[in-house]
Amino acid sequence: MLKSKTFVKKTRSGGVMKVVREHYLRDDIWCGSEVCTECKQDSAVLQRDACIESSLCPYPHYLVPDTNIVLRQIDVLEDPVIRNVIILQTVLQEVRHRSAPVYKRLKDIIHEQGRHFYTFTNEHHRETFIEREPGESANDRNDRAIRVAVKWYSQHLKTAESGSDGLKVVLLTNDQGNKLKAEENGLVVYKFDEYIKSLIGNPELVDCLALSNDDKNEVTSSKVLFPEHLPLSKVQAGIKSGSFLQGTFRASRDNYLEATVFVQGEGEDSTEVLIQGLQNLNRAVHQDVVAVQLLPKNQWVAPSSVVLQDDGAAKDDNVDEDEEEKVLTGPLTETARRATGKVVGIIKRNWRPFCGMLNVSQIKESTRHLFTPADRHIPRIRIETRQASTLAGQRIMVAIDGWPKDSRYPNGHFVRSLGGAGEKDTEEEVLLLEHDVPHQAFSQAVLSFLPKMPWSITPEDMAQRQDLRHLTVCSVDPPGCTDIDDALHYRELENGKLEVGVHIADVSHFIRPGNALDKEAANRGTTVYLCGKRIDMVPELLSSNLCSLRSNVERFAFSCIWELNHKAEILKTRFTKSVINSKASLTYAEAQMRIDDASKNDDITKSLRGLNKLAKILKRKRIENGALTLSSLEVRFHMDSETHDPIDLQTKELVETNSMVEEFMLLANISVAQKIYDEFPESALLRKHPAPPPSNYDILIKAAKSKNVMIHTDSAKALADSLDVAKVDGFQYFNTLLRILATRCMMQAVYFCSGMDSDFHHYGLASPIYTHFTSPIRRYADIIVHRLLAVAIGADSTYPDLMDKHKQSTLCNNLNYRHKMSQYAQRASVAFHTQLFFKTRGILNEEGFVLFVRKNAIIVLIPKFGLEGTVFFDSKDKASPNLVFDEEGPTLKVEQHTFHIFDQVKVTISLDDSNIQHQKIRMALTEPVIPGVSVPVPEAEPQAKKQKLDR
Amino acid sequence: MATVQVSEAEKVYILHGIRDDLRVDGRGCEDYRHMEVETDVVSNTDGSAKVTLGHTAVLVGIKAEIGKPRPMIANQGYLEFFVDCSANATPEFEGRGGEELGTELSNTLYKVFNNQHSLDLKSLCISPGEHCWVLYVDVLLLQCDGNLYDAISVAIKAALFNTKIPKVHISSDEEGGKEIELSDDPYDCMRLDVENVPCIVTLCKIGHRHVVDATLQEKACSVASLIISVTHKGIITCSRKVGRGSLDPESICEMIEAGKRVGKALHPPLMKLLQQEESLGNKRQKVGFLG
Repeated sequence: MLKSKTFVKKTRSGGVMKVVREHYLRDDIWCGSEVCTECKQDSAVLQRDACIESSLCPYPHYLVPDTNIVLRQIDVLEDPVIRNVIILQTVLQEVRHRSAPVYKRLKDIIHEQGRHFYTFTNEHHRETFIEREPGESANDRNDRAIRVAVKWYSQHLKTAESGSDGLKVVLLTNDQGNKLKAEENGLVVYKFDEYIKSLIGNPELVDCLALSNDDKNEVTSSKVLFPEHLPLSKVQAGIKSGSFLQGTFRASRDNYLEATVFVQGEGEDSTEVLIQGLQNLNRAVHQDVVAVQLLPKNQWVAPSSVVLQDDGAAKDDNVDEDEEEKVLTGPLTETARRATGKVVGIIKRNWRPFCGMLNVSQIKESTRHLFTPADRHIPRIRIETRQASTLAGQRIMVAIDGWPKDSRYPNGHFVRSLGGAGEKDTEEEVLLLEHDVPHQAFSQAVLSFLPKMPWSITPEDMAQRQDLRHLTVCSVDPPGCTDIDDALHYRELENGKLEVGVHIADVSHFIRPGNALDKEAANRGTTVYLCGKRIDMVPELLSSNLCSLRSNVERFAFSCIWELNHKAEILKTRFTKSVINSKASLTYAEAQMRIDDASKNDDITKSLRGLNKLAKILKRKRIENGALTLSSLEVRFHMDSETHDPIDLQTKELVETNSMVEEFMLLANISVAQKIYDEFPESALLRKHPAPPPSNYDILIKAAKSKNVMIHTDSAKALADSLDVAKVDGFQYFNTLLRILATRCMMQAVYFCSGMDSDFHHYGLASPIYTHFTSPIRRYADIIVHRLLAVAIGADSTYPDLMDKHKQSTLCNNLNYRHKMSQYAQRASVAFHTQLFFKTRGILNEEGFVLFVRKNAIIVLIPKFGLEGTVFFDSKDKASPNLVFDEEGPTLKVEQHTFHIFDQVKVTISLDDSNIQHQKIRMALTEPVIPGVSVPVPEAEPQAKKQKLDR
Repeated sequence: MATVQVSEAEKVYILHGIRDDLRVDGRGCEDYRHMEVETDVVSNTDGSAKVTLGHTAVLVGIKAEIGKPRPMIANQGYLEFFVDCSANATPEFEGRGGEELGTELSNTLYKVFNNQHSLDLKSLCISPGEHCWVLYVDVLLLQCDGNLYDAISVAIKAALFNTKIPKVHISSDEEGGKEIELSDDPYDCMRLDVENVPCIVTLCKIGHRHVVDATLQEKACSVASLIISVTHKGIITCSRKVGRGSLDPESICEMIEAGKRVGKALHPPLMKLLQQEESLGNKRQKVGFLG
């Protein structure tokens, strides 16, 4: 039977279009129930004895949720207790239209076999399809469609032969009007919370309930705290006319009353708008897309350099905000003022479930508690739970439901518990979730594209590749490395020239474009290394076996082979797919030992020496060109082999062989970058490192000046040179500190598509062009570069997406994002392990250097542990000492003592676990001793400290 | 124009018949052939109608689009006509064969319908000077068996009656920018008042008499014909003479009187039919093109 659906829609040009779609009705759509004997279905999804124990429905029943229930209460529906649910097509379509993430979650539940969720295509069923009636809104029509379907189901199941066992269909809706009408029609209908509360034996589900609108009002006081958000139409009109700006809201990590809105302009023309104060922030949450209105110029303020955290007990909603906000105002210099605005509307919320912990309310019986997210960009969330005592001390996930204008905090609900706080597995899970690192096991679909084991090289493979098995190839990697993606060889040619080859694992041979494996790798973007854990980008079979260039096995490689003269000048470059057989996999230290051990004279050692010699020349040339040698302290944990707890910690040491391998990798990357750019000027995937804006160096120049050292930042070369000569007598560590500071001034290096950009320069390496070619096992960018190069030398075929610069560009964005997140995750993991380490150590007394000076704190670096910490000079419970901050220095005068950058100080380090959520390393000053009672001596027991000092 | 070859003997036969008020198919001089009207036949138009008159068949579709009002008449919408003489109707229309006839027909239609007296064009205005509805009236000739004008005019009237224009609201913001907002209820629409929409009556001068609704054979016997458009009150809104022959003033007066009479009588049954069809709503069984 044919029906047509008609609707009108507005076109982009402002016209109006009538759209007519054909709609076919059928009579062969089955009900999906085991009870039914009429429907000719192969396998019924809904069970005969659909039993969820409920005090409201003691009989077996199927549930039919309406759209709003699915949208708002998906967390409850995800619970395995909820089974035998009929999802109507009307509901599914509406959910899909309104929220893609919820739709995906719903689809996942439906696909789960054990859950018995059945999709009933009521819109195409002859008896349940209804047409919209005159005067009926789209929502009313859908509600009616749902009721009609429920009615049909209850009659259908009743007439079925075995209908005697009293199987019923229960409609769940929170809509009062819908409920009344359903009752009139004689349907069994309950409100969702009524039903969930009636479940016997599953009281914890109640906590997952999202607050519905009518509950919210009672939670909060009547006082309106925030200005109303403008409706979307007004916001859009305002943006069009230029009176509002649209941008991404970025809450400040350090100050909960401050945020910036990043407004993406045309091309380079992007601005940041500062937002200060609760009223102006107006309920925006980190990463929301918001509309801001600029304040008049005389109300513009400077970003405050105060560190302010929203902690303590829940603030009353009608607390005097002035009190909270007065700390923000400080002396204003005209130059420091920045464009300041206020949030007038939210264009798109970007809420996700947040990890964090519960602050249990002081009132014992209270079911409302505040939840503190781990991410400090996110405000605290008010949730309702009756299991507060169990959840205290656990890491939990919470989703925000809404933020009414009369509530100080957003309202949310409990999603799930991740485990006890401070436990290693929980914390690792938290940091992976918080950094959006995909870390689930690889799906079957992905694994199905792996080569079949046992795998061997076929004669066809050999025919397409150059046989380099006879060469003395070896690899040098950090200890414990199982994903070896590069190997080297060196030999002297008969013509007196030198041949050096870089052999990179040929991952693109195994990962073919477009399949599930490729898509998964593209999404993950990079392998994430945490302390003692690796989140692979490609399944282990590839990363640690087939692609890994282990010694004494034949492996596919993509080789870059140069002919060099003795001055390390490139005479010829050649790329080829090859088969190699590595003769040795060494660690950096082993390689170094071989080079240094004069008694060894085997082939491998000789090659290593040759490589080392060339590498030194290459490095010198590079530095002459202005490449920067920067420094950041990296720490390495010695892990206990059984508990995987850190037992010792040391900063990573670099040996010559590190830079030897690095030199040749750089050379390979540059050669490949040039080759793919020559071949595909529009679609080469390259990596650039923009020169930082001069203002970035201010802090570095100021800091150096305080020690009477001049730093020139006109060019990379000038910077490198002045860093080289920057030395202060009796201050060995000064140079390293400067380099650490310089590193902080740099921009992020990013991947980009050559067709979309014109600036290719790599500032740090002082190379006009650069890409990543040498680590395809752990970086997806390298796989793309491999494919491009393979096409360029005719070793592989191309595919459309590879040459599409827009697709490439989107890919680059994802890679850059994943890359950044993996770095953050890595740092967070190090921080967590540092905390574990200090937990067992008690209070330590160490020497350190002042790295930054802030308005109310100094940031201290402890070189021994590569650890950075903040020493606060003001605290809430004590009168703060007399602080004078001078931005020019920058210096901070605490009572009589003035702190400069690079000052040497002594601090105590201890683990502060008073707030288990944010366990942090607490540092307190012990030297210089600032006289006066108000000296901010640490809260850690002075007794213990003194003993340490005495020793 | 589609023509048929008629022999002299046939012509005489037709002529003599008409003189005695008896036409070849048995009609009197002022009788129409059997007429069928069906509206809402093309779902993706805003209004449509199909009319068959004897073997003549025309299809009219009306699409409403938002446009800018004509500068001189800022507070009115307007109509646009296009007549497609499909080669389905007659092989003569193949290629560009129908173009001339199409232009001639649409020019007449502009004159007859596109004025404030026929249709309340002011109701088509959305915001004066900025937005108005433009009704694109597309006429498709499916089969030609004489008397195209009358069939087309009836079809247009029926299609206008059937036209449902989505209701729009103009929302303006503080800056004076205007935004058109659309109701999401497909039933929330505006109807046109077609009471004053005229119908065309074509009178063919054959011998000393004149006939309405001439077939192709009769047409071949005629030297000139008069087109008059008549409203339900019998007011003549337009008249035109077509054909190469001449008409004497006396017979023009006679023809106009006859046209008025016939035209006035045409409206009430048409409106009754349209309203009847409308009242059936969704339950109506559509005939369409295969019935």
